[in-house]
Amino acid sequence: MRRVLYVLLGLAVVAALWEGYKVVGNPEGTVLFGVRILPRADDLSMPHLWTVLERLGRPELTGGRPVWIVVLSACLFTLGITAAGFVIGAFVGLLLAIVMERFGIVERGLLPYVILSQTVPLVALAPLVAGWGGTLMPPWATVSVIAAYLAFFPVAVGMLRGLQSPSASGVELMRSYAAGWWRTLVKLRFPASLPYLFPALRLAGAAAVVGAVVGEISTGTRGGIGRLIIEYSREATSDPAKVYTAMLGAALLGLVVAGLVSLLEVPLMRHRRHVEVVTL
Amino acid sequence: MSSVDINGVTKTFNQGRADEVVALSEVDLTVGDGEFVSLIGPSGCGKSTLLRLIADLIAPSTGTITVAGKSAGAARKEQAYGIAFQQSGLFEWRTVLKNVELPLELRGLSRPERKAKAEQMLALVGLEDFAGHYPAQLSGGMQQRVAIARALAVQPPLLLMDEPFGALDEMTRERLQSELLGICAQTGTSTVFVTHSISEAVFLSNRVVVMSARPGRITASITVDLPSRDDAGRLSPAFFDKITEVRQALRGDAAPARPAENAVAGTDPR
Repeated sequence: MRRVLYVLLGLAVVAALWEGYKVVGNPEGTVLFGVRILPRADDLSMPHLWTVLERLGRPELTGGRPVWIVVLSACLFTLGITAAGFVIGAFVGLLLAIVMERFGIVERGLLPYVILSQTVPLVALAPLVAGWGGTLMPPWATVSVIAAYLAFFPVAVGMLRGLQSPSASGVELMRSYAAGWWRTLVKLRFPASLPYLFPALRLAGAAAVVGAVVGEISTGTRGGIGRLIIEYSREATSDPAKVYTAMLGAALLGLVVAGLVSLLEVPLMRHRRHVEVVTL
Repeated sequence: MSSVDINGVTKTFNQGRADEVVALSEVDLTVGDGEFVSLIGPSGCGKSTLLRLIADLIAPSTGTITVAGKSAGAARKEQAYGIAFQQSGLFEWRTVLKNVELPLELRGLSRPERKAKAEQMLALVGLEDFAGHYPAQLSGGMQQRVAIARALAVQPPLLLMDEPFGALDEMTRERLQSELLGICAQTGTSTVFVTHSISEAVFLSNRVVVMSARPGRITASITVDLPSRDDAGRLSPAFFDKITEVRQALRGDAAPARPAENAVAGTDPR
């Protein structure tokens, strides 16, 4: 209940800042020594919030479907891509973490490349993936691969730390029980890594959304929210509110993904809710 | 038959490298069935290393270790011993009951069998009412008792303990010492107990094994025979005599030469 209140409060603050800046800001933007330090506050750059909301209700093109339906279906399309990318990425990240934990030499050899992989600009990589993957899979699947490419990284790094988190005495205890590598992984390392895994999954979720949106744009895949942002931004001069409806959709998508990911942890982190200490 | 038999064991870490350390040198030790033996000595004397060798958590460089008539490795694979460390090392995502069940689970016992056995062990350490709690909800002393229950769950003939009460306050520590003695008497378990508290070693043990550092070796083995092991025993002259004897053994040859210091230190039984 209180959380809902905070969320609403946060939204109200953002709305107040937006509209407040429109009231006090210079419509031409503030320029200091030839550098624009504050954005334009005119209706073309920053439409009123109610204009954006009202635009959601009107048809996309005369006689077409209302904008909110178009945006929502585009979001659902991208949500599918994101979900596929997230699952692939999380699985690959998990696998890499387990292999790196098991073999120190793999960790030393592979981890630098895992980190390096994220420094390759996505826009440079996306056409390559589309080019190679285009013959093998439908366009949405290539976008999923791009999303997975971003999503695997936090999981691999976070999970590796988590798998390495058990204390030496915990590992020795498992050895004293004659438990081998697999049973130590299942009974000790994996449960111990959960507090590291969930924040990593949340990052992966956000990364998958970014990957999906950017992937759609750079591979020219139709039907998703990324493509919609590009399409609507072309009409920004005549219909400035329209592009903001698509951005709202993208923000909503990010929130939904973050929410879904955090739902994952509810059943698995039961013990975290008990904090009260009993003394005897 | 003896519970533990250590013959000419030497342990060298980082052998052949610049940071080579001889942790143990030519150690011989025998622990009889049902005997309670404490290992005491300064930091770095290799007492924990010796315990880990018995547990087959590390391998000796030379020499042989026999546990319950088998090699240490075979004994570990049969879960012939239970072990407890200074940190309770409970799995925070498991309830108290599930923590005690862990070794039974790895032994492949059925669910009802595990539950019955674990509940019995929790009753032994007086925590049957806390089976459903998570470790984070318990005090340090209670966590350590759960760890002891877990070590005893498979009813091993040998219990290995590495400063299990080291992180506890003095009152809790004394209470747990008495409880541990009761449990060992009840189950007939042989125990190897690493500590750096002289009074703890004397109070608990049938025999106190004194070690010295660089290289780690056994310098004395003192048999303790207290009239009783309870609060009266803690006040008996025999208790203080043995504490003095262990302290002198710990100081080696230097002790008799400096009686004045001895007398001052003698007012503190630790």
